[in-house]
Amino acid sequence: MIEVAQLRKSFGDLTAVDGVSFTAGRGEIFGLLGPNGAGKTTIISCISGLLTPSSGHVKVDGHDAVSDGPAARRVLGVVPQEISLYEDLSAAENLAYWGGAQGMRQPALGERMRQVLELTGLEDRAREPVKRFSGGMKRRLNFACGIIHQPKVLLLDEPTVGVDPQSRVRLLELVRTQARDGACVLYTTHYMEEAETLCHRLAIVDHGRIIAAGTLAELRAMLGERDLLRLSGSFQVEAAKAALAHIDSIEVLQADAELLILALPEASRRLPAIFAALAAAGSDVRGTTLTQPSLESLFIKLTGKELRE
Amino acid sequence: MRFLWISVRKDWSRVRRDPFSLATSLAIPLILAVMMSLVFGRGQAAPQGRLLVADEDSSVASNLLLGAFNRDPLDKMLLVEKVAQADGHARINRGDGSALLIIPAGFQEAFLGNRPFQLQLFTNPAQTILPQIVQESLSIMVDGAFYVQRVAGDQLRVVATRNAPPDELIASVSVSINHLVTSLRRYLYPLAMDLETVVVADRSESKSFAATFLPSMIFMALLMIANSLAFDIWRERLMGTLRRLAVSPAPLGAFLAARLIFVASVFALVALVGLVASRGLAGVPVPNLPAAVMWLTFAGSALFLMMLVVAVTASTARAASVMGNLIVFPLAMIGGCFFPFEWMPAWMARIGRLTPNGWAITQFQAILSGEIDARQLAVAVAGLTVVSAVMFMVALRRLRSGFLV
Repeated sequence: MIEVAQLRKSFGDLTAVDGVSFTAGRGEIFGLLGPNGAGKTTIISCISGLLTPSSGHVKVDGHDAVSDGPAARRVLGVVPQEISLYEDLSAAENLAYWGGAQGMRQPALGERMRQVLELTGLEDRAREPVKRFSGGMKRRLNFACGIIHQPKVLLLDEPTVGVDPQSRVRLLELVRTQARDGACVLYTTHYMEEAETLCHRLAIVDHGRIIAAGTLAELRAMLGERDLLRLSGSFQVEAAKAALAHIDSIEVLQADAELLILALPEASRRLPAIFAALAAAGSDVRGTTLTQPSLESLFIKLTGKELRE
Repeated sequence: MRFLWISVRKDWSRVRRDPFSLATSLAIPLILAVMMSLVFGRGQAAPQGRLLVADEDSSVASNLLLGAFNRDPLDKMLLVEKVAQADGHARINRGDGSALLIIPAGFQEAFLGNRPFQLQLFTNPAQTILPQIVQESLSIMVDGAFYVQRVAGDQLRVVATRNAPPDELIASVSVSINHLVTSLRRYLYPLAMDLETVVVADRSESKSFAATFLPSMIFMALLMIANSLAFDIWRERLMGTLRRLAVSPAPLGAFLAARLIFVASVFALVALVGLVASRGLAGVPVPNLPAAVMWLTFAGSALFLMMLVVAVTASTARAASVMGNLIVFPLAMIGGCFFPFEWMPAWMARIGRLTPNGWAITQFQAILSGEIDARQLAVAVAGLTVVSAVMFMVALRRLRSGFLV
């Protein structure tokens, strides 16, 4: 339902998206995972027709997003990153307006409004101005406005940013419901846990490029069964690297005067040997963090930096 | 088409929920109107000044001179107040008065005796028009006195040389003046010059303050509302609703058309309420209410589109706000919104009438005075519609390309 092929988008000298390709099908939640500024929102903007790609092409339910934009937009639902609501109007008035913008008419619109208000838990507050809502309630209404017309393709651009835990759980469940009902969902986030628990397939994006893609299992396999060990302190970088080279199956992902990130199997068992080697190399370890294989460790392995940087 | 009406309804709902921003735009002209009426007085078309007179002669001649200032039309502009010379100087020095005229002792004797005399006039430099009127009027009076001396000087001197002239002398002087006038009759009747007078309409005579200021006040309100509603496009952009709309199947053209219909309905309402209130409360004649309301609606919508083009051209909301104010306030000042053209110097009024709002005000004044016929009005509306259509397309083009990114 979404086909993106060799998508490239430049703003002057800056290339925000550079040769991105992926597909997502009906009933699937496809995640775009990457740090802020990686190009996720630009990809969503190109798919929704808000931006015209510099090259490459995008198809939504078989309609080209550029040459057949209106047809593509008819099957699209977009939940923008920012709260895009009329705060002077009530929740019901917002839903009626955005439903009308999607071409919906009464009585179907009224019935659907009732459904999404119930779905988002806002039925009791439907007549209140949105400006009186909490942040989480606004997020839920923002989501409701994106699904009011039961879109075939749903683009969600970091819909849980700044949301309280209760609303986040509710929103994620709503996303799953949309996919279960047959929608193709493209979900961008920089929250690792969300991507791991929600998405059927994922693409990790950095600097406008997809650096890894696949199911969660496939991505984990890329990392192997290795743990991620972060050591903070003061290090003689070259001496530390040389000392660690004598220990089997250790890969140094990042090394500087204050931080070492290592990937290795059975890290907890091998900690004494690592500390001893580093002490011999003149290093002073003051903090240790051990992480099981995850998307975050994969991201660090692929980019040499943390996802939230 | 359906989305058009949904969008108009949405815009009205937003105004109903937050009427403050629209009310603020209306408050500025209303406050200004109240201040103007307090300064110049209700029912007073022309500003009134104060002429301070220190009459140290207190003679028949000095009273005749002052009497000239109490005649029409000077009496409408000047209030003559007798003062002592020292008091007069003190008051004019602190700006309390338009001018101080000092008539010296011996003025009548000098005048009747054809001897030189000196009138002193001190003007208030803080005022321009009224002191000039006093100076010009006094100059005309002095010229008049010169000619009276030329024509009847001998007779006046005969009277002046006697303290209590007998009846025979008065009769004799009267007869000789009559003979003199009779001898001049062939020059005076008929006049050597033939004057044809065509009275068009002396509006300044009949217009009250409210009638003079009404067009300015209404157009100031339109300009302020136009600026505020045009800036709302930036509020929509910052709220993200415009981007959300751009990724929906609803056309941006329909959104903009709906906004224009909403704006036009606001202007029609403001015009109707404003004109009916002016007629009912201030007695301002509005002979053709439907044409006046229609013109204000079209003109206001065109001003809105003009300000919308400015707003969407700006690169940031702040730039849009600054640009909008930089355009609106000078336009209001020179285009007859702060001060009616009747109060401006002629050169400024000429320039002001060339501004968009100045031109619209001129047409509106013509509608109010019945000087424009249906055909001329239709031509003006057609012109306004063409210009509005061009501005609509410019704004839409900008919305579609660049404004949302």
